[in-house]
Amino acid sequence: MKALDLKLMRDLWRMRGQALAIAVVLAAASATFILSMGVHGSLTVTRDAYYSANNFGDVFANMTRAPRSIVDRVARVEGVQQAQGSILQYALLDYPDRVDAVRALLQSVDERGRDRLDLVSLKTGRMPAPGQPGEVVVDEAFALANGVSPGDEVDAIIYGTKQRLRVVGIGLAPNYINAFAPGDIVPDDTRFGVFWMGEEALEAATDRTEAINALSVKLQHGASEPDVIRAIDTILEPYGGTGAYGREDHPSHMFLDSELDQLEAMVQVFPPVFLIVSTFLVYIVLGRMIRTQRSLIGLLKAFGYSDVAIAWHYLKFALAIAILATILGSLAGIWMGRAMTELYGRYYHFPFLRFSFAPGVFVGAGALAMASAALGAVTGVWSAARLTPAVAMSPPPPPVYRAGAVERLGQRAGFTAIGHMIVRHIARWPGRSAITVSGVALSMGLLFSTLQFIDASQFMLESYFFRSQQQDLSITFTEARNEDVLYELAQLPGVLRVEPRRALSVEMSYANRHERTALQASAPDSLLTARIDQDGNVIAMPPGGLMLSRQLADQLGAEVGDRVRVKMLGGRRTEAMLPVGALVDEFIGANAYATDRTIEDMARDGAPAGSALLLIDPAMRETLLTELKAMPVALSIGDRDLEMERFAEMIDDNINTMIFFYIAFASAIAVGVVYNSARILFSERAHELATLRVLGYHRHEVAVVLIGEIALLVAVAVPLGLITGHWLAQFMVLMFSSDLFRLPFAPSNSTYAYSAMVVLVAALLTALVVARRVMGLDMVRVLKARD
Amino acid sequence: MQVEGENSETAANARAFSGRGLSKIYITGETEVHALRGVDFDIRKGEVLVLLGPSGSGKSTWLNIVGGLDRPTSGTLHYEDNELTALDDRDLTRFRRAQIGFIFQFYNLIPSLTAEENVRLVTDIAEDPMNPADALGLVGLAERRHHFPAQLSGGEQQRVAVARAIAKQPGVLLCDEPTGALDSSTGVRVLETLDTANRELDTTLLIITHNAGIAAMADRVFHFLDGKIARIENNTHRISPSEITW
Repeated sequence: MKALDLKLMRDLWRMRGQALAIAVVLAAASATFILSMGVHGSLTVTRDAYYSANNFGDVFANMTRAPRSIVDRVARVEGVQQAQGSILQYALLDYPDRVDAVRALLQSVDERGRDRLDLVSLKTGRMPAPGQPGEVVVDEAFALANGVSPGDEVDAIIYGTKQRLRVVGIGLAPNYINAFAPGDIVPDDTRFGVFWMGEEALEAATDRTEAINALSVKLQHGASEPDVIRAIDTILEPYGGTGAYGREDHPSHMFLDSELDQLEAMVQVFPPVFLIVSTFLVYIVLGRMIRTQRSLIGLLKAFGYSDVAIAWHYLKFALAIAILATILGSLAGIWMGRAMTELYGRYYHFPFLRFSFAPGVFVGAGALAMASAALGAVTGVWSAARLTPAVAMSPPPPPVYRAGAVERLGQRAGFTAIGHMIVRHIARWPGRSAITVSGVALSMGLLFSTLQFIDASQFMLESYFFRSQQQDLSITFTEARNEDVLYELAQLPGVLRVEPRRALSVEMSYANRHERTALQASAPDSLLTARIDQDGNVIAMPPGGLMLSRQLADQLGAEVGDRVRVKMLGGRRTEAMLPVGALVDEFIGANAYATDRTIEDMARDGAPAGSALLLIDPAMRETLLTELKAMPVALSIGDRDLEMERFAEMIDDNINTMIFFYIAFASAIAVGVVYNSARILFSERAHELATLRVLGYHRHEVAVVLIGEIALLVAVAVPLGLITGHWLAQFMVLMFSSDLFRLPFAPSNSTYAYSAMVVLVAALLTALVVARRVMGLDMVRVLKARD
Repeated sequence: MQVEGENSETAANARAFSGRGLSKIYITGETEVHALRGVDFDIRKGEVLVLLGPSGSGKSTWLNIVGGLDRPTSGTLHYEDNELTALDDRDLTRFRRAQIGFIFQFYNLIPSLTAEENVRLVTDIAEDPMNPADALGLVGLAERRHHFPAQLSGGEQQRVAVARAIAKQPGVLLCDEPTGALDSSTGVRVLETLDTANRELDTTLLIITHNAGIAAMADRVFHFLDGKIARIENNTHRISPSEITW
């Protein structure tokens, strides 16, 4: 090893604390990069492999009822490679010992194995056999959550009739990576599952001999999706088709897609913050090192080392830190990636999901770390290269201090001499002080913006369940019903109020934008379907017009007063131009509302209700649920409290993992920045601190010089950190909002307090660690050496 | 305890330091350096003492121990009635704060503080200090009190250091090569200031120097050699610093 490289190794070892502190911040950049890109890559690769292996369709359509023969018609459409028809039917499962309503979506499969699309991957057991009407394959997530295994039997109410189902296999399919019960916003594997049932058996159970109500289509390579959709819609029009849609609008695909978007957003927010801070840290640490080694540089050059050799020597110092950071970051990234992938595995049902090690991700992380370290090193390295031996070997000019504006204030405020020392040193090194302040501010901002996520989720939860959902239970009927069922429900024990709920499946268009949604009806005297604003006031439903959630209005680009074209998908397919009369702030889904009169004008079908909302007496809950489960008309029962609980659980699940990471990350920045600043401060002032000790200052009084400066910088950083946090949080809210939901910006007081506190504690503990060096200050030795 | 030419009662009143068997061994790596080898001495209050000797003879180590900056490996040291060798770090710091003024060859001023603020550094923590401006007046720098060290000449900086040392009205002034970095006329000015402090405030003055000429302004001269006081020289006639030349 060359002597100069030995020096490099020893410099690194001597400055190991500082080098490590930088490496940790830089490692956080690598780790978040690897985490997001790695998980994104793993999910994408797994999803694509799964889609391709199980032949997931490209276009999907639902209809009321169509003869099976239309499958061939669709298959002949230009651009269609394959078409497959199936029956989808919701059923209520009857577990005698369970009070909560357990629902299943029955999906037909060909008993003779002739299915070509959306294939089921069996985990255990077999597919339903021909001539065995009750056989089903149960989706893995439901089976795991409820302890179901092949051989188990359960009664199901299918199409109003009770039938015994026998589990013959456990499996999963690409069209149900996320499976939601109708009306649910959170997947709930304990209360909802997909059951694959033999086609003939399901035809018989639902009275649909040789009929289907769902289509899945595979496109030819290069086919035009919109053209195929138009053709399918035309074919399905007489059969109550509700409009074909591509993968982008497939619920399972869409949900996963929005998660992938969030991971992409993460890459754009977190690694850059860490990279910027690391660049600055390299800048100050290497700058200081080169200043202290000034005469050494002169000596080396006098010996004949070239400017390039010297520049390379110091650049290697920065690159060595980047290499260490990449190693640390990769390990952390893999560890976090695994944890996160495992978490995803709980919500996304894949036959396999492993965190994959794409070499490109690690190379990318390494390159980013090297680039930011090198960028930080540039000015220092340049100044080292430019020093001439003669200049370098003479001592640098003494630092010039000035009494600034703060000083004159300080003079009046009666600053002590120590106070002046602190303030003037900050002013003497404005660049470094600014880096310390902005580093601490950024770490606080990062913590604030991540904690805001929890607030946003909680706000969303409250807003959705307490403002949008005022019922206790919602009953979805097997088919649209009129008054008699509502009357029947109202007679049940414990029911305090029943309100019908109608919704039309529509496409809304404004200018050249189109959105599919459900147009929900709200009666003027409704207590349960009224929209409530953030202050708890009922927003009046505009007569003859629409009320849109802000999300939907934004997607359409429409504002209050604009007229939107509303086209019914299915039914009479009427169209109307309706004015947007009001907007409502909702965070989940893109929803539209109208008065029941407006809905009836469009539907012209005598106003049957698809579901009913119930307000109940809590004491009667169990009795009522038992009664409801026995009602043949009830397709599914939504329980607001259970759903809320489940939603809160999901938030907790995600958040506990997240918070741990982000507190660690934010602290890493604060510690890295403060540690380096304090160490440099200490080395620059060691001589002065020793002088103070000689003059009779106690150790703790001397430590004040060090801690005082850091404390002052941190104090300035706190308000800046909160501003940064606001800004970052708003940016993240924007980046993370998808078509499925919109995150509110609603930081709680504890988020302010907590982010400030974590960073303050991390910063001050670090400063204290450095200040402990004052204890070991050797007055005699320091004074012997002239600085 | 014997102090030359005085009875023991007044000697106790007038005693500044007395050291017995002071040794200092520095261990660096595997080598032991005997910086002091059992030194005995007594110093009267108000005395001017010059320490001469080659580099490495132990005079700086001795001065550091007497000034409470360092501890002997063995032996005892008293200042007035207090045993310094029995004090912990906290009390040694208190002792320095109350009794000792230091002046160094390279001034050791705080570059971020003005002349006056450098003096205030000491008056802020002293019990009965002078007004910082008065202290600077004593060294003839009243006009320059708002200047930073970088704006002052070497001599001026050393005079600020002297002002800083005397501002707390210390019992003892310890000077390690106070004129080492100064030209002759500036050096004389600094010595005059020290001499004035000694005469007017009765401050005990201990001066390390390589400049044998300075010995003439002392009451006594300790000659250090190989970690011992090899010889003590009594000056029957102290001369004024203005008469010294080098």
